[in-house]
Amino acid sequence: MTLFTKEDCKLCDQIKKQFDLEAMEVQVEVLDSNNAGALAHLAWHGQVEAARKTLPILVLDDSSSVNDFPRIESHLIDRAASFGIDYRSSNNQAGCENGSCAMQ
Amino acid sequence: MPINAESVEKEKKQGHRRDDSTDLALFVRTSQDDMTGWDRHRIVDALLRETYIDRDTAEKISIEVENTIQTGKVKTITGPLIREMVNAKLLEMGLESARRMHTRLGVPLYDVDNLLVQHNKENANVPHGPEATNLTLAEGIKKEYALLHVFTPDVADAHLRGDLHLHDLGFIDRPYCSGQSLEYIKKFGLNLPHALSAAKPAKHAEILLAHMVKFAAALQSHFAGAIGWDAVNLFYAPYLEELTDKQVHQLAQMLIYEFSQQAVARGGQAIFSDINIYWEVPKHFVDVPAIGPGGEYTGKTYGEYEKQAQRFAWALFEVYKEGDAQGRPFFFPKPLVHITEKLFKTEGHREFLNHICEVASVKGNTYFVFDRGETAKISECCRLSFKLEAQDIEDAKKPWKMRYSALQNVTINLPRLAYQAKGDDTMLFQLLTERIQLAAKAHEQKKKFIEKLMSMGTNGPLALLAMNHDGEAYLKLHKCSYLIGMVGLNELIKVHIGDELHQTEAAIKFGLKVIAHMNIVCNKMAEALDMKFVLEQTPAESTSFRFARLDMAHHRKDAEKVIQGNRETGEIYYSNSTLFNVGAQMSPISRVEREGLFHPLIEAGSITHLWLGEAQPDKEALANFVTNVFKHTQNDQIAFSPEFTCCLDCGKTSRGLVDNCPYCNSENVDGITRITGYFTKISSWNKGKLGELHDRYRNVNRFNN
Repeated sequence: MTLFTKEDCKLCDQIKKQFDLEAMEVQVEVLDSNNAGALAHLAWHGQVEAARKTLPILVLDDSSSVNDFPRIESHLIDRAASFGIDYRSSNNQAGCENGSCAMQ
Repeated sequence: MPINAESVEKEKKQGHRRDDSTDLALFVRTSQDDMTGWDRHRIVDALLRETYIDRDTAEKISIEVENTIQTGKVKTITGPLIREMVNAKLLEMGLESARRMHTRLGVPLYDVDNLLVQHNKENANVPHGPEATNLTLAEGIKKEYALLHVFTPDVADAHLRGDLHLHDLGFIDRPYCSGQSLEYIKKFGLNLPHALSAAKPAKHAEILLAHMVKFAAALQSHFAGAIGWDAVNLFYAPYLEELTDKQVHQLAQMLIYEFSQQAVARGGQAIFSDINIYWEVPKHFVDVPAIGPGGEYTGKTYGEYEKQAQRFAWALFEVYKEGDAQGRPFFFPKPLVHITEKLFKTEGHREFLNHICEVASVKGNTYFVFDRGETAKISECCRLSFKLEAQDIEDAKKPWKMRYSALQNVTINLPRLAYQAKGDDTMLFQLLTERIQLAAKAHEQKKKFIEKLMSMGTNGPLALLAMNHDGEAYLKLHKCSYLIGMVGLNELIKVHIGDELHQTEAAIKFGLKVIAHMNIVCNKMAEALDMKFVLEQTPAESTSFRFARLDMAHHRKDAEKVIQGNRETGEIYYSNSTLFNVGAQMSPISRVEREGLFHPLIEAGSITHLWLGEAQPDKEALANFVTNVFKHTQNDQIAFSPEFTCCLDCGKTSRGLVDNCPYCNSENVDGITRITGYFTKISSWNKGKLGELHDRYRNVNRFNN
């Protein structure tokens, strides 16, 4: 499972605060201007255009992808449960109106 | 005693110097169609005018050259010979910079002799004839000029070495390509700077067509590459209301023939022309007031012209399906159909898809351009596309303002990076970064040169591009794109990790990393230099051959392990851009899907070619395939390419590439298929492309339901 994120992305930050992603064995890829590897990984999953519209994106183990924030949360809650790991409940999702939750 | 200007002048005044021409009785053939008497001061004048050397040195050189001529007992000398002698003296004196400035640009007699009788195959769209020879000669001189005078030595040397390729050096004084809408001539008529007459906006469809063709020819004279037209069927629509179906068909026929037969323009070339076509009315044009006959608003919006636009689109493809008088596919204009979400919601879309897929199967003309989500773009050239940004969508309210240009294209030789990196990832990416920086530097230099020409306005050489009918110059320099392309990703991967792209997932993943790195560095350079650098899949009609040849010469040991084609015949090449090995036996959907993974990283356009050979798939099967590609892949653009044999004796056209005409058994035949982004005759292809043609995997029996 891979979570594609970026810096200054409120929704990405929120997910990172809610879940212990490392303990849940979720690979976190940060898309920035120095990370060709993350961008290539995103392209491999066919999610470049999707990431230009919204982040975060969760790619599941079967390679299907989830772009909708509540569904990402839902998948991660299930994952946390299967690993027996606690998580924090959801906060307000405001803050992405300026497009910061998307790859530039 | 050293020679200096003062002593020379003194001697001249006293009449003591033995030199001056009166004693020599020499005639000099000048480059101005004239013969003049010998006067060594012309050498001095030229050196002082063209270089920065001092007068004493110039005098000294002129005297030495004169002595050489005297002792050689030459009776008639030419301007070029004197210049060569002066340049030799400059070299002897270590004045390399002055020699560069004093260089004469030209072509050896031997080369001209060959050129006049042999076909130049650098561009398969240039026929063989006197106009083509003129074009090649002019291009040769401008190319030399560009490498000496426009670009700095590091950039020019990188081109000459084959580290990168500066495209269209022979057209150094023009931008690369142009995309626009018909609205400009609909609104302003055909009113070009310094033209002998000006025409008001067209009142009839046929006149609009005449204006379009003439304007395209004028643009071809000011751009190196393709001339693209946006939403052609839609912008014609207000002129079609009074026409019967038969008349619309006739208009479609005229449009296609006018562009496909206009081989009388630059260098005898047909205009590399593209028409963008929509079945639906694109969202950004729906509420735009329509311009009709006489340049007047019709009182309707373009959204109300959907049926007329569809009628014209349908008719255009009927003509494409028929082909020319001999049943051959039309080479130009290339029809680019935009496949969008809205298309699938528009009435009649299935019939239209079947129609254009039948053309793709029968003649191969149709390009399928995928605009997913909210994406809108204008496409042209072999695969180039300009994505419309927020400002462009705003411009769409005044569509005559929609014009886009790429100023130049620079392509990087990727396999060479792998030879030099010797398996070291860090070195590979470092070298790639350096090449992109050099490409950006080349773009800055070309931009500066074009800016200089544009600053002369309508009195300068780019008057057409400086014309201002709508408050800004026709060429919007501030909005130009600067293309950075790539050749041979497949071979880079093969050298660096041992597999070709089609062979392993690891190969694809590393390929994606290379292109992602290019994308990121381009974005950084764009921010740093405030120039729009974007990646494009280079068509590389001759570049993939050129790089392969240069690498076989300079990196033979490495290159011969990965180079494609036939080394014995010299028909060698690198795979184009990010394309997989053309001979890989992949299913069409697998090729489209996997090559398409790269496309979102290449923002200025990508394509996947599917070679059909003699196959003629069912139209509905192709329509299903296209729909699946749109819905389930990231692929930017696809085209299906059948092959034909044209008999030069009986004039009939048959399917597939064969040695003898199936109708009359003549061996006097020529093949036709798509070379890189357009159809053309195989006899005009360069050796590299012939090698690729031989290797292409034909998708026979791969599409039928």
